[in-house]
This record gives sequence, structure tokens and C-alpha cells, in this order.
Amino acid sequence: MVHELSLFLRSIFVDNMIFASFLGMCSYLAVSKNVKTSFGLGIAVTFVLVITVPVNYLLQTEVLSETGIFKQDLTYLAFILFIAVIAGITQLVEMLVERFFPALYSALGIFLPLIAVNCAIMGGSLFMQQRIGLEHESSQYIGSIGDAFIYAFSSGIGWLLAIVLLAAIREKMAYTNVPKPLRGLGITFITVGLMAMAFMCFSGLNL
Amino acid sequence: MKLNTESNVYTIVYVTIVVIIVAFLLAFTYAGLKERSDINEQINKKQQILASLNQRNIAKESVDSIYKSIVKADLIVNQAGEIIKEGKNQDQDGFEIARKDYSKDCLPIYQCEIEGQKKYVLPMVGKGLWGSIWGYISLNEDGKTIYGAYFAHESETAGLGALINEQKFQKQFENQTLIDTDGTILEVVKSGQAGGSPIKCDGITGATLTSNGVNQMIQTYVKFFQAYLDSVKQ
Amino acid sequence: MATNNKEAFLTPLSRNNPILIQVLGICSALAVTAQLEPAIVMGLSVTVITAFSNAIISLIRNTIPKRVRIIIQLVVVATLVTIVSLLLRAFMYDVSVQLSVYIGLIITNCILMGRLEAFAMSNKFVPSLLDGIGSGLGYAWILVVVGAIRELLGSGTLLGFRIIPQAAYDFGYADNGMMTMPAMALILVGCIVWVHRSIVKDIED
Repeated sequence: MVHELSLFLRSIFVDNMIFASFLGMCSYLAVSKNVKTSFGLGIAVTFVLVITVPVNYLLQTEVLSETGIFKQDLTYLAFILFIAVIAGITQLVEMLVERFFPALYSALGIFLPLIAVNCAIMGGSLFMQQRIGLEHESSQYIGSIGDAFIYAFSSGIGWLLAIVLLAAIREKMAYTNVPKPLRGLGITFITVGLMAMAFMCFSGLNL
Repeated sequence: MKLNTESNVYTIVYVTIVVIIVAFLLAFTYAGLKERSDINEQINKKQQILASLNQRNIAKESVDSIYKSIVKADLIVNQAGEIIKEGKNQDQDGFEIARKDYSKDCLPIYQCEIEGQKKYVLPMVGKGLWGSIWGYISLNEDGKTIYGAYFAHESETAGLGALINEQKFQKQFENQTLIDTDGTILEVVKSGQAGGSPIKCDGITGATLTSNGVNQMIQTYVKFFQAYLDSVKQ
Repeated sequence: MATNNKEAFLTPLSRNNPILIQVLGICSALAVTAQLEPAIVMGLSVTVITAFSNAIISLIRNTIPKRVRIIIQLVVVATLVTIVSLLLRAFMYDVSVQLSVYIGLIITNCILMGRLEAFAMSNKFVPSLLDGIGSGLGYAWILVVVGAIRELLGSGTLLGFRIIPQAAYDFGYADNGMMTMPAMALILVGCIVWVHRSIVKDIED
């Protein structure tokens, strides 16, 4: 239980996808103009992560690794299979959202298909794959499908938190007098940098 | 001839062909390069072991021969000091154990010989601030004084915690006592507080958590190896 | 034709730079730039992969069924990335360890999919190849600049060689540890955007 809890907290605050590893930056910068859409995208990312990471975990441990069904190290196929799973599942999510939440669908618009190529999703799976190889005492270790699920969920929440925070700041910043060439992209980068610095203080947590 | 590229049959055939080509291409590349990357991985590990024996900056080509001439056996022992595997082939038994599989029942240890003197290399692994840290500490024949040390890390803060990977930090372990006769184990203390004590080493300024990680790792693993070291001392 | 080719190659370097203007592929750009060497290797890997994937997709663009277009593009990219990562493990082991998962993340680097969709699907082989190389280099030069600044100010070295002399340290100069943190990468890119937009005026946000 202790391990699960520290994995959970660590993934949200210390190993935050945006601030510690820059995953999913493209859509993070593009969509964070207002809080409502950001929240929607954050939920979508969390949702897709929660499905794809455990599926890819099973794929990695049961099929690709030496102890899997083929008894052979097939890790070199990991990239292709992971991306195929992700593309397939996002397609599915897109259809479901369109069918059941048309309002959200029109708000997210073109961004849903983009989730397939969102680094946060692929990054989640790749980090999961790397963390299977860690020592068991490490709080980053992922050793079961439960861990994979917790990791995916909390990373998604971390991402959601980061994008909503940035969107809130950007909404306020629209009224400030920023030097012209710095407006838009430039100041956003710097803001994210300052936020990342603030998040660095969590690294002192002994998890 | 004009194919209908939107028909179902075409799509399925097309995808199948692409998948087959890709699978073959990848399997082929992988098989062709596997040997090379495995060798790289081994050389990298051997370089780290040799670094702890103060054999640093060895060219890639000569790593294997130097390793063979220095490391005599890679045993596997357990916490009780019993030998599980003899490791006569130098890099087939203990060497093959991956870091994550070290445990109190499965501890690799390297028996080495430098200029006629026996040395022991103790591998260890722990956690730093951001990710794993690991190291190798080599002991003299007496089983208590340190001959050399090597530490590495996965993703410690560059310029702070990452300094454990530098010789300056590793150098101060030389000739210190790893484990005293009364069982006290070498401690990594706050920078500047070691004060020349033979059983203390300075941590890194501004990297308290990484230094604590190194300390914790040494405490844990030396206890694991204690029984075996006692048995060779006699 | 000739001017077209030149344009396909040159615009991504500045006026239509993937990072500064199109805001694509930031993810991996920042994480690998704490030192110069991985930044260069990453930049080159991306260039090679954009060039080849653009070229391959442009060659087969008329045969690809519309419905599975994205999947086919992803498969081509993923294959190239896997090959590059296997090559790196075999020939540049140290760097491949440093780049770790970020090599895999090239697959989801938006530059690739962006260029494939916007350019390679509707252009001939040669311009596509050039556009790929141009986009890759446009991405690489930012990485190299950020990597160089961070390594120089963060650890006083470039490519591992000491640049700032020991004498400076004796006078009390200290490396700026902040530079090696992720946060500074973002702020640096922000500043590069700032400078770039002050020079190249007519870019709208």
C-alpha cells in the first residue's frame, strides 16, 4: 500500500509529465488558452493513458519479454505495437466521445485525433516499460498491472493539473502588457519554466 | 490499369503487406545488431567494475582483456555468506545478474587480483533523489579497507547529485575503512563534517538527498556482504 | 522547380521553423538538451527520420488507402525510429543510454506527423525529401543552441571539454546549477522565441 501511495504522489508532483519530462508539450502549449478546454483535454489524456498504459504493460510482460508467450525477446517490436495500441484506442475514444458527449467533442475538436501523437501518451507507455526494469524498492517501480494503472492515472492527473494551472495563468495574462515579440509563445514558455521551478520543490519529498 | 485504392480488399492486402515488410525489416536489423549492442552493454559494465579498481579510462578494445586478467571469479553469495555459484568463468555467473535482481539471497561479488594482491569488488544499488543510483566498491585483502570506488546514477541533478559519478567524489573513499572490526560501517556525512575520520566520507554540498542515498546504499549492502567478508578474513 | 526545392528546404529553418513557429516537437527538444552531445545526436536522428519518412511516404502516397493513412504513417515512422534506436545501441551506446525513452518519443514527435500530413502526402519525392531534411535541421539547430548554452553555463564544458578555465573558478565563479534543470530549458526556448520574433518581424501569433 505504501508503494502504491508513493507511486501515486510521486507521479503527480515529483515526476510530473510536463514539468519533469516535458511530455505532451505540443498540445499543452496549443490548447492551454482557456481553463474549460484545458480541463477537457486533461480528462481526455488521463482517460487514454489509463487505458493504454495497462494494455501496453500486459503486452510488454506477456508477449514481448523473454518470459512471455513467445519465450523470446521481442522488445524491438515495442515501438510499433505501443503506437498501434494507442492509435486504435484513441480512435475508439474519439468515436465514443462523439457519440455520447457531443459538447465535449465540439470543444476538443481537432485535438482528439492529435492525442494519438501526444507524447504524453506514448511517453507514459515508454516510461512504464523502462520502470519495469527498476529495483523493486524504488518508489518508481512498476511491477504489476495495478501499479501500471496507478502510474497512468496519477500521471494523467499530473498532466491535467499542469494544463489547468497554465490555462488559468494565461487567462489572466491576456490583460497584461507583455513586450510585443514575447507575446504568445515566448511568454508562455517562460511561464511554464517558472512553474516547473516551483514544482521542483516537491523533489525534496522523500517518497 | 487503375486500382481502386478505397476498396476493402485493397486496404486489407495493403496493410498486410506493409506489416510483413516491416516485421521482416525489423527482425533482420535486430538480429544483425544484437551481438554488437550486447557487447557494448557488457563492456560498459566491465568498465564500471574496473573503475572501482582504479583502472579508469580504458579504451573499449582493451576492456575485455584487462577484465580477464584482473577479475578472477564472479561469485554469487547470499547474506549468510554461503557461496551459491563459484563463478569460475569470470563473467558468466555473478556478472550476468542484473542490478534489479540483487537481493540478500543473490549477491554477486568479484574476486580480483592486482599486482599479486587479492581484491574484492562489492556491487550495490540504491535510490537517489530522482532515480536509481548504483556503485562498486573494491576492498583490499583484509576485507575492510577500501581500494577504490565507483558510483553512477540514472538521473540525478546535473552539477549536484550527478557529481557522485565524478572521480573527485569517488577518490575520497580510497584507503578509508568500509567496515571496522566492531562492525561499524563507513558513513557518508554532510559535506565538510568527515574531518579526516577514516570511517567517514564527505557528501556533496547541495545534494543532501543523493548523498543520503549513497550512504543508505552502503549501509544496506555492506550488511548483506558482512558474513561473506568475515569468512574470507580468516 | 529549383526555387520550389530551395524553398522547401529553407523555410523550415527560420520563417516556418517547427519549434519556434509551428510549436511542434517540443517534448523531446527540451529533455535532451542538458548537454550538447545528446542534443546533437537527437537533432541528427530526427533529421534522418523526417527525411526518410517524408521520402518514403511521398513515394507510396498514391497507393495508401485513405482510411488507414494515419496508421500507415505511424508504422513507417515507428519502423524508422526502431532502426535508429537499434543502430544507436550498437554504435553509440553511451549516448543511447542518455537519450533513453526520448528516442522512442520521436515517433510521437509532432514534426514528423505534421510534415507527413501537410507536405509529403501531396508532394513529389525530391521536395518531400528536402522538406524533411529542412524541418529536421530547423529542429536540430534549436536543440544545439539550447544544449550548448545549458552545458556551457551549467557545467562549464562543451561536449565534455572544459571551456571555462579553472582560473575563473579560483576567482569565485560558480557553475549555474539552475541551467541543468528542466525549468531553464523552457525559459531559454522562450528567450530564443523572443529574439527570433524581434528579428523576423511579420509573424503573427
